[in-house]
Amino acid sequence: MKYLKIPMERVGALIGRKGEAKKDFEEKTGIKLDIDSKTGEVTIDDHDIEDPLAVIKMENMVKAIGRGFSPENAMRLLKDNADFFVFDLHDYVGKKESHLRRLRSRVIGREGKTKHVLEELTDSKISVYGHTVGVISDVVRMNVLKKSIDMLLTGSKHASVYKFVESQMKELRREEKMGF
Amino acid sequence: MGRIGIAHIYASFNNIIITVTDLTGAETIARCSGGMVTKSAKDEGSPYTAMKVAQTVADAIREKGIDRVNVQIRGQGGNKAHTPGRGAQAAIRALVRSGLKIGKIEDVTPIPHDGCRKKGGRRGRRI
Repeated sequence: MKYLKIPMERVGALIGRKGEAKKDFEEKTGIKLDIDSKTGEVTIDDHDIEDPLAVIKMENMVKAIGRGFSPENAMRLLKDNADFFVFDLHDYVGKKESHLRRLRSRVIGREGKTKHVLEELTDSKISVYGHTVGVISDVVRMNVLKKSIDMLLTGSKHASVYKFVESQMKELRREEKMGF
Repeated sequence: MGRIGIAHIYASFNNIIITVTDLTGAETIARCSGGMVTKSAKDEGSPYTAMKVAQTVADAIREKGIDRVNVQIRGQGGNKAHTPGRGAQAAIRALVRSGLKIGKIEDVTPIPHDGCRKKGGRRGRRI
């Protein structure tokens, strides 16, 4: 048994219309979810299941939905090489709302430009929610993405972050072509 | 019926160490780490290395008659990252593939009850 807690307003997204999303998750992983829609507590039943990794995946997916991802995007975590990471903005600034808003807007960009560019370049999903930034990506590209978001949060210029991501992705592609 | 062991997987950002012990945890049966299977230091924490480490360990323990393991997975912990590194999932997957039976999977990352101050000072980490 594993226990998680997600924000109340995300419970609806986890369950879906008439329980569709929840049913989908349960079918794909073979694990039962127990959701308390009054408190937002989620219980993952991990008794006698075939795939031991499914529990970890399920946990990540529930966490991802709790951090603002849609169920469709959270499904990406079913892939074996997918990875999920959450930045806490409180690690970078204090609890002042204006500071938090500045950091959030740095990651999102004007009309979502920064977020969009990062997602396009690394083929991943970013969600800015409350005082967290959630990232879904595959294991290799995750490194680049983590570093670039860290650069944004510590105050690098956007142009230099874009340049960094582009050069790193080029490097990755070249390495892939050479064969690992 | 084979014996049961515990596979302690320590996956930090830069390395992975797998130690298989008996159920008491006091007697080490097999051990392998990132540096034992790869040459370049930057690859020690990569998922591919983790896979190789897990395979080496799996072969070693099968020879000694263990066919079932409980997994205890651990990230760096303390006042550092609380999530296991990127090799952790790959290592478990490789253990499953090699034909071992996996019992419980547990996260044993040490989590402080609000312990020491994080490294980096008042103004955070500056580059």
